[in-house]
Amino acid sequence: MSVPASEDPVREGHAPVPACAGIGLRFQHHAEVIEQRPAVAWFEVHSENYFGGGKPLAWLDAIRADYAISLHGVGLSLGSAEGVSERHLARLEALVRRIQPVLVSEHLSWSAVSGMHFPDLLPLPLTEEALAVFCRNVGQVQDRLRRTILIENPSSYLRYRHSSIPECDFVAAVAARTGCGILCDVNNVFVSACNHGFDAQRYLSALPGGRVQEIHLAGHRVRTLDNGGEIRIDDHGSRVCDQVWALYADAIARFGRVPTLIEWDTDVPPLSVLREEAAKAERIMSTGWRHAVAA
Amino acid sequence: MPSLHELQRAFARAMLAGPADEACGAILDDGIAAAERLRVHRNTFRANLARTLRMTYPAVDKLVGEAFFDAASETFIARHPPHSADLNEYGACFPEFLDTFPAACGVPYLADVARFEWALNVAAHGRDTPTLAAAHLLSIEPNQHARLRFVPHPSVTLLALTYPADEIADAVLAGDDAAIAAIDLSGGMLHVIVYRGARGVEAQRLTTDAHRFLLRLHAGEPLGALLEDTRVNVPALLADALDKGRLTALRIDP
Repeated sequence: MSVPASEDPVREGHAPVPACAGIGLRFQHHAEVIEQRPAVAWFEVHSENYFGGGKPLAWLDAIRADYAISLHGVGLSLGSAEGVSERHLARLEALVRRIQPVLVSEHLSWSAVSGMHFPDLLPLPLTEEALAVFCRNVGQVQDRLRRTILIENPSSYLRYRHSSIPECDFVAAVAARTGCGILCDVNNVFVSACNHGFDAQRYLSALPGGRVQEIHLAGHRVRTLDNGGEIRIDDHGSRVCDQVWALYADAIARFGRVPTLIEWDTDVPPLSVLREEAAKAERIMSTGWRHAVAA
Repeated sequence: MPSLHELQRAFARAMLAGPADEACGAILDDGIAAAERLRVHRNTFRANLARTLRMTYPAVDKLVGEAFFDAASETFIARHPPHSADLNEYGACFPEFLDTFPAACGVPYLADVARFEWALNVAAHGRDTPTLAAAHLLSIEPNQHARLRFVPHPSVTLLALTYPADEIADAVLAGDDAAIAAIDLSGGMLHVIVYRGARGVEAQRLTTDAHRFLLRLHAGEPLGALLEDTRVNVPALLADALDKGRLTALRIDP
């Protein structure tokens, strides 16, 4: 892979993302952002929503003129054994060229096989084979985009019998081998830790701090199963819960100030609610969890 | 131990048809059954696509009601999973599916409404492409005109419908019961062009002759052959197409 591993990833032609709290921009808020230009440090959008033309892309062009934009992919399927879709990569490349985002990110997951695409972040077996496939695909994307990308840890609902590498070590290995950055989704760490009974703190401690270039925060829900068991579902449909805020404060203590994003995708509330959540993240970044709660 | 590719193919089959032994066997039960764990992903997959179909086909949804739409989309999703991560491209063959979906045969115009709504979706999301300016056409030597071929804008769809799906969709989405009752379903075949113009998505009724002409124009037939069609006013149709930004490029045959 031609992208060198370094602590300071190559960024060409675009400003660094501010180490502040931004907001995941959804269609519901496009008009308000364009008309009112609220004080938001930066926005992140789902890349695939802008693969077509027309209004969405025109709106993003208009917003991009005043705000730093991060492109967050949900469908590149970096874990596909069959490799990355050339058509998808070409469309992403065109969007990156047009928007000049401050960050480009994707997930530790897969969603495509045999010409079919499943719109979900499907879990990878954490094996040496999958690690090699994943790194090959990340390398191909970084070579094509001529920049490093960030890889996000997904929420996990199942584990494979033949997985042999803890997820945090898998993420760290991808970063070490490809030079990519890490998008640490603190809510996902918490959800996965609850679902599988591992220690969220130990997960964070296994990540190479210098590589964590973005943090995601969101709400999740608890689903009770027929057998009485519980599973936490990452639905991005509520405020960030206190336990995740506390884990976020730990992450900031560990990684320093990192650009942090509030995500909300189900029952999207008014922009003002998202701004309150972003302000809370700002307070925690500045003063830590205890002080932020006291305030 | 399955290879990554084997596992992904087995997982895909479980997503389409429900959890089966081959996929479940690779997953730890761990307090919650493997099938239950797989179902979390299957639910997300199906809910995302059902929501996508609802957003693309709101008039169909309103015409048949939630339970019917859920049943139709569930069957459709299992038979026609997406081929792209761009969900604006999902559901192109939903109209043809509705044509053959037994429960839909009581609503004969349903598939036509779906065809119209798919055309609206294509018009809204077709990729941005510079439109052909009339001035460019005027700059071409008259002796080359017969050899001109045109390329339509990606947002354009020509529709031939059995029922007035444009009127039905508008009335249904407006909740205008009087307008719905007044729609004449026996008027026979009608033709519509749907595209993204300067003011957004537009739909325009066409005569049968204009529809046939535009099909040939969009298929790239040379202007010389098109000018032989005496049933339409070719310069006027061409000027209208250029004016509304429905053409993107032209080629001149050597």
